[in-house]
Amino acid sequence: MTTLLDPAVPRREAATGTARPAPGLPLTSAQSGMWFAQALDPDSPAQNTAEYIEIHGPVDPAVFAEALHRTNGEADALRVRVVAGDGDGDADGEAAGPRQVPIDIEPPGRQAATRPTGPDGAARRAFPLHQADLRGAADTDQGSHAAALAWMRADLAKPFDLASGPLFQHALFRVGDQRWLWYQRVHHLVMDGYGYSLIARRVAEVYTALATGAEPPPSPFGRLTDLVADDRAYRAGDGFAKDRAHWAATFGAALPTGTDTPATGSEPGAPRALDLPDAPSLAGRTALPDHTFLRRTAHLGHQETERLRALAAELRATWPDLLFAAQALYLSRATHSEDVVLGVPMMGRIGSAALRIPGMVMNVLPLRLRVRPEDTLAHLVRQVVLGIRAVRRHQRYRYEDIRRDLGLLGDGRALVGPLVNVMPFDYGLTFAGARSDAHNLSTGPVDDLTVNIYDRADRAGLRIDYDGNPRLYTEDDLAGHQRRFLDLLARLADLATDAHAPLGGLSVLTPAERALVLTDFNDTARALPPTTLIGPIEYRAARVPHAPALVFGDQTLTYAQLNARANRVARRLTELGVRPGVLAAVALPRSVDLVVALLAVLKAGGAYLPLDPDYPAERLAYMLGDASPACVLTDRATHGALPETAVPALVLDDPEVRADLARFPGTDPGRALTPHHPAYVIYTSGSTGRPKGVVVPHRAIDNRLRWMQDTYPLRADDRVLQKTPSGFDVSAWEFFWALRECATLVVAEPGGHQDPAYLAHTIRDQRVTTVHFVPSMLGVFLTEPGAAHCTGLRRVFCSGEALPRETVTDFHRLLPDVPLHNLYGPTEAAVDVTYHPCAPGESGPVPIGKPVWNTRLYVLDAALQLCPPGVAGELYLAGTQLATGYLGRPDLTADRFVADPFAAEPGARMYRTGDLARWRADGAVEYLGRTDHQVKLRGLRIELGEIEAALAASDEVAAACVLVREDRPGDQRLVGYVTGHQPAARTRWSAPADAAAGADRPAMGSDESTHVAAAPTAPERAGDAGPDTAARASRPGTALPEGAPDVGGGLDPALLQERLAARLPDYMVPSAIVVLDALPLSPNGKLDRKALPAPPAAATGAGRAPRSHREETLTRLFARALCVDQAGVEESFFDLGGNSLLAMRLVAAIRETLGVELALGTLFQAPTPAALAERLRAAAEGGSAAGADDALGVLLPLRPGGARPPLFVFHPAGGISWCYAGLLAPLGPDQPVYGLQARGLTAPEPLPAIMEEMAADYLDHLRTVQPYGPYRLLGWSVGGVVAHTVAVRLQEAGERVELLALMDAYPSDQWRDLAIPAQADAPRALLRMAGFDIQEGRALTREHVLDTLRREGSALASLPEYTLSAVVDIVVNNATLMREHEHRAFDGDVLFFTAAAPRPEDWLTRDAWQPYVTGRLVNHDIDCLHPQLTQPEALAVVAAAIREWPAGNA
Amino acid sequence: MALTVEQIRADVADVLGEDPADIPDDENLLDYGLDSVRVMALVERWRRDHGVEVTFVDLAEEPAIERWAPLLGART
Repeated sequence: MTTLLDPAVPRREAATGTARPAPGLPLTSAQSGMWFAQALDPDSPAQNTAEYIEIHGPVDPAVFAEALHRTNGEADALRVRVVAGDGDGDADGEAAGPRQVPIDIEPPGRQAATRPTGPDGAARRAFPLHQADLRGAADTDQGSHAAALAWMRADLAKPFDLASGPLFQHALFRVGDQRWLWYQRVHHLVMDGYGYSLIARRVAEVYTALATGAEPPPSPFGRLTDLVADDRAYRAGDGFAKDRAHWAATFGAALPTGTDTPATGSEPGAPRALDLPDAPSLAGRTALPDHTFLRRTAHLGHQETERLRALAAELRATWPDLLFAAQALYLSRATHSEDVVLGVPMMGRIGSAALRIPGMVMNVLPLRLRVRPEDTLAHLVRQVVLGIRAVRRHQRYRYEDIRRDLGLLGDGRALVGPLVNVMPFDYGLTFAGARSDAHNLSTGPVDDLTVNIYDRADRAGLRIDYDGNPRLYTEDDLAGHQRRFLDLLARLADLATDAHAPLGGLSVLTPAERALVLTDFNDTARALPPTTLIGPIEYRAARVPHAPALVFGDQTLTYAQLNARANRVARRLTELGVRPGVLAAVALPRSVDLVVALLAVLKAGGAYLPLDPDYPAERLAYMLGDASPACVLTDRATHGALPETAVPALVLDDPEVRADLARFPGTDPGRALTPHHPAYVIYTSGSTGRPKGVVVPHRAIDNRLRWMQDTYPLRADDRVLQKTPSGFDVSAWEFFWALRECATLVVAEPGGHQDPAYLAHTIRDQRVTTVHFVPSMLGVFLTEPGAAHCTGLRRVFCSGEALPRETVTDFHRLLPDVPLHNLYGPTEAAVDVTYHPCAPGESGPVPIGKPVWNTRLYVLDAALQLCPPGVAGELYLAGTQLATGYLGRPDLTADRFVADPFAAEPGARMYRTGDLARWRADGAVEYLGRTDHQVKLRGLRIELGEIEAALAASDEVAAACVLVREDRPGDQRLVGYVTGHQPAARTRWSAPADAAAGADRPAMGSDESTHVAAAPTAPERAGDAGPDTAARASRPGTALPEGAPDVGGGLDPALLQERLAARLPDYMVPSAIVVLDALPLSPNGKLDRKALPAPPAAATGAGRAPRSHREETLTRLFARALCVDQAGVEESFFDLGGNSLLAMRLVAAIRETLGVELALGTLFQAPTPAALAERLRAAAEGGSAAGADDALGVLLPLRPGGARPPLFVFHPAGGISWCYAGLLAPLGPDQPVYGLQARGLTAPEPLPAIMEEMAADYLDHLRTVQPYGPYRLLGWSVGGVVAHTVAVRLQEAGERVELLALMDAYPSDQWRDLAIPAQADAPRALLRMAGFDIQEGRALTREHVLDTLRREGSALASLPEYTLSAVVDIVVNNATLMREHEHRAFDGDVLFFTAAAPRPEDWLTRDAWQPYVTGRLVNHDIDCLHPQLTQPEALAVVAAAIREWPAGNA
Repeated sequence: MALTVEQIRADVADVLGEDPADIPDDENLLDYGLDSVRVMALVERWRRDHGVEVTFVDLAEEPAIERWAPLLGART
């Protein structure tokens, strides 16, 4: 038979040679994990395990204490403490590490010995037993019981000290005449759940013997040395390597051979593919364990439990197998994934000596299952049985090691979902005849969610505890998951459930939840008259003929004028064959004629087809061919740009046409239009490579507009801005809502929708009350200075993509009195189907809200079953607003518009949105992302498949893939990947084994499209952000991955882009195309999108260092706008991935920081920090010939402009004031800032001999800027002393000093006795000026310093050689001046900033200023070290305090 | 009724969901899917059906039919 345990593991008992043997034993690998977890958070009690046993009968407490002591004496694995290793391996050659050392414990009742007597030289510990009779603590046994539990909970919150021990605690409470509670708390490092059962059984045995005066039977326990030896033997044996390989293979990791370190790629860019579910846990994210956990206890009844046992037996499985299957089913539905991984705690003792050792052995192992709706319960249970069997064969390999092998440590990525911990041992022990039952209190740390299941000895059913990490779950979350799991178990136990029926028939929500999400949340029925889109407009026109209907530039049309014009065109259209059910295309830029044309088509009874004149001719031709409109309404300018077509054109600005139209009467035409006729057809991106036309009937859009008017009533004096391009369906309500309500439509200029400044002044000047933004455009709009003046707005709508909470917050701050509404919907459901008012002060994701009238929302899982609130599923829409379908595409229509199984009326349909969503408890819906490869980019709906098809249409492209990357947070862009035709030998990346040995995974957030592209809400929306012309203008295009210059068989990315631009709208052309050898595949052969590399940015800090403060500031602003670590001085903003949106942000940031107004165009002409700095310099100085040296002059104008009194900032020890540049942005653009710098930085000059001389010099310079007070002064470090000195001199000269701010500066008294730094310390001072702290004691060479500065992009790195040498002298001179200076008193208050982090110079105290300040020292502690005070976070605090400093102080 | 090795094999095969012919005497039953719940089931079954008193630890220590037979007093 197999060797179950080799007892003869060699172990030398005594040390050989000269090394002293380390005390005790090393930890087993199982214990090591616990040790590290505790070491990470020494004060955490999370590693505590605890239970109590309730004894029903008499107990002799003294005998019980004796039984406890004897049992603990037998369990040597328990009686240890853990000490850190001494750094050397022990005599056995073991690696250094923590050791477990035996401790001696006094018998109960005796105090701990005071002298060290233990075997390890430590004191003997008192036996940790607390005894109390709580019968008097309350009136009832229950009350006493509760008091005991309260004590236990308090005890459970105490962490053990591993280094001192003991690592266990007992308590014995009497809570009734015949009721006792025995409580144990044990550190998980020395005990697991099975160990508890061994201890309890032995205590019962010993107590029973002692109580009857008998000698207990011999100890059954094995020894700790056996556990350690067994562990060591395993790790040295073949099994370890095999197990390791098994687990790596299970999750697609490739292990390096012969090394323990993760693979480092030899193949540049080769993808590393792990095969893991994206988000295996119910929380969908990870967190470290808290110090405590939430627990909810519930029970499954006896009958259900017995039925589950019987069902398990029928399926040739055990009841735990069935519970695993049920949890997997629940997890699969709740995480919207067929691929699930449960965590299975295993006792790990069968067939091992550990069976008799109360210690820590258990392990957690991943059980991976595939749960498909078409499979049966029987099939799933069989998978579990076989899966557990496979797991068991490799169960000794530690969970921590699996995570490490997969590279998940520190990654924050989870491997498993819930732990399902089945404990079949309910020890029905008796204590001298008294029966007992056990109650678990804690099973140790809860990473995510642990489901503890106890089979109760009384056969009363199963106890099912849900333990949750409070950082991931609320009580309600936990209760919901538990309630639904029990409900599911009860239904599985129901005889009516067929284990051989598809799992798809089972839902995971309770009946109450079903009623809630189906009925209560969808209570939207509203009876409406059967009207059309156009009818109400004609009705209004007749009633308010002289009211203004439309404003465009300086033209205004009354309702009568607009109606008459549209009527004449409509009558002409009727002649051209337009009637109900017939399409008429409208190809016009935003204009009066555009509105007239749309109305005319509707008045003729037709449906309009908008054609955006900006689209490529190929796409327009496709749409015209596909839709076959009866005619196209256009103007002369656009007509020429339209593709050749047989469709007759009606050119509205053609004089002949105008003349001809005059022959028609201006009265409303008759038509046989019904609400079911189409109102418009709008084309959206199609996944198969062809756009598809969505046919929206009148009743759908009529319902939408009636709901909107009821919810946000427009009045006659409202003015709605029309700015969305007609090709996006948001424009539908913009065009028609106002005209149905006697309000006025304000039409924006063509292109105006992309210009925040234009929008701001239009909204203000035209008194617009109602406007729509795509969220990203709203974000940009809010940075526009004019936005704050748009206070005439009465409502702002957002839709088109996820609305970030920050945007809402910014909005409310800027326009506190304007309501903001978030809407959501696809073109396929008449613009919007949900709405949410954004209230100020809310937090968390902004929901898309509740359904509009006559609309139902369903959140469905993969089996098309309803999801309960809080659980993500795919959003389906049903009701009046559904589109008729896709024009001429019955196949596609049938695929997306499916039968509604929840509707009462026959034939009802529901639309599958492809959006992931979940219900909130209040009935609002949250949008979570896409389920497919459709993405939304700045509100524009894109099917990646359409772009991929267009790429693949090039002959030289073998395969193509497109995704949206977000390598910089907030900057989503399209990236294409192509492979060429090439010899098979070259496709090396397609081999998974090679693939895994590759380079790093893409940066965080650069996920696959369906995840990141997040493309929020409503397909279709807007086009606010429009074609990204800025980025196109200098689109870098493309880049070959470095080191792979000739891959791709000569594919030319630029050429591919050109071809795409001819076929696709601008916004669908990838901003970069990457040529690869082969597309990376996951081990199961699927395209591994996550392994696709980020397009190599030209980027990041290359080139020379900044030469001026202006350059340095600009590189920082570039980097921030682009969200990269660094930007090079000579790198183009657009080459680094900048686009028009980011460019607007950069311009705003430059305005804020440097106080200069920069036209967007300037950025295009001067796109590098260097060029831009030169432009700014020239502009500021009117072309004066000041060179780079001006940045080293005595007076440094950091920001010359601004309305407020200037702030003068004084250099620190090194003499240069560039370190204050970070103050500019937080101080705001109206605050001028000037630096004072040391003499002698650029040419030999005598250095000041005393501080007063320096101060006098600076004072002269300062007066050239500001001849009279009040003055504002600030200094950091030595600069503070200088500032104080200057301030005193100013006061003595009769000037007022309004502000004296000292940043961690201390008067000369504090320094006087210290040695002056040697010249060698000057480099350190230089680094400090740049904001770096360098540990004392390290020798610094100048090269080292310069390297550091260059690496961090500091402008100081480019100081000329002369200056670097000069700084050394200046540092030494300043140190001398500071020590010799005699302070005089400053009259007034001083603003002070203390670097409050603990520091070696703890004798520094601001109180030392007392004699030199007559007023108060107003201090702000900033939690950082002295050098870090010039970091942005600290400077933000400084700036805020300066801004708040009252004028006229001092 | 006293246990036989064949009966042990049949019972083991039953809780493992395997064919008795596939369960050898001398192999570690762990590799065949034996777990604590199944050991407990066997302890219960043999106590109930054959009046044999063994503990979980007795069986789990060396999980192989040839090791169990003497513990269970089985005839060969």
